[in-house]
Amino acid sequence: MMDEKWFEEIAQLEDESTTLAPSCLKSRLYSRLIEEQELDGPLASLKDTVAAGRGLCVFEKLIEILPAQANIQSFQYCTVCHARVAGERIENAPIYWANCPYCEFQNR
Amino acid sequence: MIKLSASIVETDLELARAVLKRDRKASAEFVQLYSDPVYRYIKFRMQPRIEPVEDLVQEVFLTAWKSLGKYQGTSPLRVWILGIARHKVQDYYRQVLRNMPFPEDAEDLKANDVPMESLLNQRQAEGWIAEILARLPEDDRTALLWRYWEKRSAEEIGTEIGRTAKAVERLLARAREKFKMEWQRKEAGQ
Repeated sequence: MMDEKWFEEIAQLEDESTTLAPSCLKSRLYSRLIEEQELDGPLASLKDTVAAGRGLCVFEKLIEILPAQANIQSFQYCTVCHARVAGERIENAPIYWANCPYCEFQNR
Repeated sequence: MIKLSASIVETDLELARAVLKRDRKASAEFVQLYSDPVYRYIKFRMQPRIEPVEDLVQEVFLTAWKSLGKYQGTSPLRVWILGIARHKVQDYYRQVLRNMPFPEDAEDLKANDVPMESLLNQRQAEGWIAEILARLPEDDRTALLWRYWEKRSAEEIGTEIGRTAKAVERLLARAREKFKMEWQRKEAGQ
């Protein structure tokens, strides 16, 4: 059926698109996901994250080297960081440091 | 059956396990890797509406978090999460079409005999699609998206919304005719 084929091709055109999710949306998604995870229990400690081979941002590194209790290590420091605020509100926010999820979400 | 490469499965399983351990950086990687494909998938299937897109993308990720324990690496994580997105989109379509009156035989539009296959050669096709879908009534638009973007048959759609395949075919025929008429209008520069 000609019509069927034509509409299938039209739909296909858009499936091949390279549209990216807005960086603000990625930032909000991440914040929301972490909130949800915290409802189920404490986050993995920063030490465990490092042991698994994942990097910490400069602020997290400071906490990680402190002889602090587990609950301090499990706190999500991004909730009090301006990178989160900027990332959630500004598309391609001017935040630029290593191992910060909100920096990595920017579509640059 | 396609055999998955062991490295893809292992990498995906490792990421899933790390997210389940509530490793914040693994969760960031999970969002970074899959938010683009999930967003793209939902955006094109909701068009021209933008309001439900962000909520649906978020629902997909929260559902994925709740179900991640069941992920066994039988398909890539990307396919698994797009499967969740597909269910969310279909729930949305079902809700829209269940509440719409369906066209009767008498309301069918006269078939439009203008050949359409050459139209895809036009570079502006992508922009036109969104614009034309935006002009269609919501039931026509949803029927087209469900049938052609989601690749579901009229029978399958009918089963989902409690209608016969014939009723869905009538709706699709009307939607196709309206879409084509709008397309021809655009071609004529109107």
